[in-house]
Amino acid sequence: MRYWRRRHEFDLEAELRAGRPEPSPDFVRRLDAEVRESGRTRVGGTLRVALVGALTAVMLMALAGVGGVGYAASAGRDAAVSVKRVVTPREVVRVLKKSPAIDQYAKKPKKKVKKVKKAKKGKGAKGKVRARTRPPFTG
Amino acid sequence: MLRHDPLANPEPLIRRVYAYVAYRVGDGPDAEDLTSETFERAIRYRKSYDPKKGEPVAWLLGIAKRCIDGRGPMVELASEHADEPVPSNLEEDTIRRLTVGRAVGALDERDRELIALRYGADLTARQIAELLGARTNAIEVALHRALGRLRETFGPEADSEPVRKREASR
Repeated sequence: MRYWRRRHEFDLEAELRAGRPEPSPDFVRRLDAEVRESGRTRVGGTLRVALVGALTAVMLMALAGVGGVGYAASAGRDAAVSVKRVVTPREVVRVLKKSPAIDQYAKKPKKKVKKVKKAKKGKGAKGKVRARTRPPFTG
Repeated sequence: MLRHDPLANPEPLIRRVYAYVAYRVGDGPDAEDLTSETFERAIRYRKSYDPKKGEPVAWLLGIAKRCIDGRGPMVELASEHADEPVPSNLEEDTIRRLTVGRAVGALDERDRELIALRYGADLTARQIAELLGARTNAIEVALHRALGRLRETFGPEADSEPVRKREASR
């Protein structure tokens, strides 16, 4: 603290700034090189990906110019249809269902018997009673 | 396509992070280790840096803070180079650093962190507030108090100087 007492003017904030710890030059150089090296590797990787993307785009544009994209799309669609035909067994089942043997001997589906609702008792009876109590129409 | 690289110009960042760490844990190999650890993590997670959230130095100081907190309390806060012989032309600088370092080391953890962020890493009160998740006004007041306590450690000469609150809040 004697150092401070020797000084006539005292500016704590200036002293804090001036006296702030400094790393050794060797440490700064080493760490700086390390950080820069890692950055270079990263940029290199990103540039490679960008180059591949750009080349793909150029190739697609060239193919689109001669109708290659449409050709590729229709070929893909045909392939999908072929695969679907092989995989799904729907057509075979339909043929079996229509065979004459099935027409003749297959179990026929039961006919559904419709339930007939019974007429309600009360309502009609009430009407009849009312008709009987009403006086006859005389014109 | 290429995002802003927070570590594009590492040297000034290294100096600021080191100054912050050294104010927190003391000048020397420990501070160098923690600074290296901070940059190692920063390299690993550089993709996670979002320029919208703040400057690269604030991001790095956040990492440094976590590194220090993860290490637990440090025993020695004074400089490791205190007993080393120094060339005569560097004498005044070295004495100044040692004295400031010791005085800051005598403060409590919270005050030391504020001093380290303000005068070590050279952040503004607003940046400190963003980093610590506090209000700027609260940080200004806390800094003012920390400086007051630091002045007490330097004796009557320091007390006679008027408090420069405006500069602290810059």
